[in-house]
Amino acid sequence: MSLFVAVPVGLAMGIVFGFLLEKGRVFEPGIIVGQMQMRTFIMLKMFLTAVATGAVVLAVLNGLGIVKLQPKAALYAADVVGGLILGTGIALAGACPGTTLAQIGAGYRDAIFTLIGGLAGAVAFSYAEPWLKTTFLGQGQGKITFSDLLGIPYWSGALALAAVLAAVLVGLEWWRPWRSEIGREADGDLGAPPSERPAGPRIVPAE
Amino acid sequence: MISLTDRAWSPYVAGVLIGLLQIPAFLLIDTALGASSSFVTVGGTIAGWIDPSILTIDYVAKHVTATAKNWWQVALVVGVAIGAFLSALLSGSLRRSVSPIWARALGTSSRSVRYAVAFVAGFLMLFGARLADGCTSGHGLSGVAQLGVGSTVAVAAMFVGGIATAMLLMRRI
Repeated sequence: MSLFVAVPVGLAMGIVFGFLLEKGRVFEPGIIVGQMQMRTFIMLKMFLTAVATGAVVLAVLNGLGIVKLQPKAALYAADVVGGLILGTGIALAGACPGTTLAQIGAGYRDAIFTLIGGLAGAVAFSYAEPWLKTTFLGQGQGKITFSDLLGIPYWSGALALAAVLAAVLVGLEWWRPWRSEIGREADGDLGAPPSERPAGPRIVPAE
Repeated sequence: MISLTDRAWSPYVAGVLIGLLQIPAFLLIDTALGASSSFVTVGGTIAGWIDPSILTIDYVAKHVTATAKNWWQVALVVGVAIGAFLSALLSGSLRRSVSPIWARALGTSSRSVRYAVAFVAGFLMLFGARLADGCTSGHGLSGVAQLGVGSTVAVAAMFVGGIATAMLLMRRI
């Protein structure tokens, strides 16, 4: 596909993606930090629903031979170290790389700094990449999938994953209905935790 | 019924619709949903204006080339900002400052502290995402749905890193 088609397609898909992230509220720092502090589970609910849907879609498209899968190579050391660093950044940003752009669109001022930091991080990694790939972080195992490991066709593994995720989601919703954890302003801000809510006028302890 | 002017949709409705975006990604672009490579495409292009030698690094050259996949993803993340703007505009919930949770999470309402933390956070996110070769979209949404072993390990590490930081370093929101 030519660039002149790919860019408008990307823009259109991005507008839908951003619209859904905003409507689903999984761009709010309160929802993302709330998930990482295990106070709210809206991020996990939307994430697992999207994974399950994607698995069903790809089970059909790949099962019918219409598309070829694009799994990433397993680089265990880099996956763990990179994932931990990324997770630290997600908590401090209250966003992930994609939702940073949704925050900018919705008007959060600090997200501009997250974006600039992100571009700087990507450039810093780029300078380090030729050296990093010669270290243990460059050691990979190739494109391994669970369906290969189990010796089953992808479509059956993907449908099994979707079924398990659907069951987990039903349990999550039964345990914590999403409407109860969205907050009055729909931003995941549920106010200070009950145990830390001051009874009278707030006295700030000297530190 | 859901409406475009609603402030919030069920995370399940939003999640199903986001998952369906894999259809055009695979059918039209022959790729999976992802976001973090675009930071190399844009960052590498900008850095190349100041230091053209960065363009000689294979990794950068591969990302800044005018291919459909590279610039499709840049267009995608630009679209995310536009889509979020439109959604917030329609529901009357456009933001003008920073989230109220930061004063509690960081223990200060200083705007400069928040901006500095956001910069460092962005740096860590993209350094980590590029090291792991994917973020919550590429490894999370796409890699796990494709039953990728490395992607599943990466997503688990993201949650471990995020939960540890939010619980140990940040105050309860």
